[in-house]
Amino acid sequence: MAKPKLITLSMCVALLFGAAACGPALVLQGVDYAQPIESVLSPNSDAEVHDQRYAVKFNISPVLEEEGVSSVEQVRLIRNSAGYYFLTAEGFSNVYVFAPEESELSLETIINITGNGLQQPAFNQRNGQIELVDMATGDTYNLDQNGRR
Amino acid sequence: MKVMKPTISTLAALLIIFAGSSAFAQESDYRVQQDFRAEYNEIIQGIDSAMSSDDVSQISDDIDQLEADYSGYEELLNAALYPESFQNQIADLRDRLSGTGNNISAVQDLNDRIAQLQSEMEDLRNQMTQMNEEGTALRQRIDRSASNERRLSALVTQYRQNIESRDAFVNEFLEDLLSRYQSMDAQTQSDIADASESMDDNPLALIQTVLSEYINQADQQSGLTAPDYIRMRAQHAYFGEVWDNIGERLANTYASDSPVQARQEVTDLLSTWEASINNKLWNSISTAFNQNGIELQSFSNSDDFSVALNAFVDNAIETATEQNEQADLDLYQSFSDYWNSTVKADWGEYLVNGNVLTQGEIAEVDVKIGDWARNAEPVSNLMFILFLISLAVIIGLIVLLVTKKS
Repeated sequence: MAKPKLITLSMCVALLFGAAACGPALVLQGVDYAQPIESVLSPNSDAEVHDQRYAVKFNISPVLEEEGVSSVEQVRLIRNSAGYYFLTAEGFSNVYVFAPEESELSLETIINITGNGLQQPAFNQRNGQIELVDMATGDTYNLDQNGRR
Repeated sequence: MKVMKPTISTLAALLIIFAGSSAFAQESDYRVQQDFRAEYNEIIQGIDSAMSSDDVSQISDDIDQLEADYSGYEELLNAALYPESFQNQIADLRDRLSGTGNNISAVQDLNDRIAQLQSEMEDLRNQMTQMNEEGTALRQRIDRSASNERRLSALVTQYRQNIESRDAFVNEFLEDLLSRYQSMDAQTQSDIADASESMDDNPLALIQTVLSEYINQADQQSGLTAPDYIRMRAQHAYFGEVWDNIGERLANTYASDSPVQARQEVTDLLSTWEASINNKLWNSISTAFNQNGIELQSFSNSDDFSVALNAFVDNAIETATEQNEQADLDLYQSFSDYWNSTVKADWGEYLVNGNVLTQGEIAEVDVKIGDWARNAEPVSNLMFILFLISLAVIIGLIVLLVTKKS
């Protein structure tokens, strides 16, 4: 019985040393992902948008489906300092907040803005928050990845 | 109420300020940068299409205004325009405008030069036309006055003055052309060539007109004499010299489509003019010598003329040496006077400039005239007669003495 215990103990010690050898994961703190200015992107026939300047490309079909529209002329995209993408378009009722993952953007939250739909939405980067302005109505909303501020 | 008025005004002002700040708050950064880009591009287009210094001045104001309007968004625009920057773009506009301004200045300078040239051409052509008309009128009056010798002489003198005035005028024109075009670089030629397409008249066309009139003048029977044609030869030689110096530049500048043809046209006109002068020149020189008792053998070019002169003097020297008569001395005096007081004194400069005689040929004749002078002088017989008398006296005395002794 003593031998198996010794083997188990040795394995635990080896595992401990192995874990210690790997050390803590390398983390760069205080990254600012903020885009200074929104991107206004026109979807192609496959509903794909491509932001050449910030090198991101994705399909907006699920968002259109969520908004209950078949197409939009342009979508407006901005990224806040935390790295979340904020997306909306003319006629949308919501702002969609996505977190970047490996080869995907996963929905973080949907921020409801107006039931009537935004008329002339525009994003601005303001003091660490995203400012949504409806240029037609003059309504302004301050947002982060958790919702309205 | 007095207190209320300022209050209402203040409220109104606050309202306007609030509305303004509200409008500011509702700005879209994206639109700001889009508007900036649109205004920037509009100014670029304005620079590209600017045609005058007024345009440049207006665009300069627009750039200042653009800078003032957007300087508050410099940070935003720097981010939006990266890797460009707001200040770089403003500087780029000013650089472009400066380049365009320089080009416009150069074009305006060129246009001014062309306008001045055009004006000068008009003046020159008008003066040339006036002189031609005066010349034509004089020739017509000369034709009508053929029977009145005294009047004819006066008219020919007047016509001669007209020709001299025109020559002086043309020479001034040619000297001006020389000073302008002799050292003109290819770029300036090209610039003027582009701008001169709009000119109604140009120096090349004027040269052709002048040459045509010279040919016409030389072809006319107008009572002109040898010195007039010799003078024309000199004028032709000067014209040809100027054309050799600037013809290529003028043709490249004012006939840029077909410069070789243009040069050939002028060269042909110069040849025609020379032929027209020569048609009259050699006969008139021969006549002038004849009228002074000098019979030269026939000649029809400058070489033959020189040969004829030398042959005449050589023959005269030979005759004088052989005959040694008063007639030989008279001929010498006549030739020497005419040669020195008329040919050399009055025609000399034009003979040389017009390639009728060279300085060397004139000097050769001078030397021969010196020989002729020595040979033409008749030798005196007085000494010989005295010698004979003395000899006779001596012989007589000897005969007398011999006779007395015997």
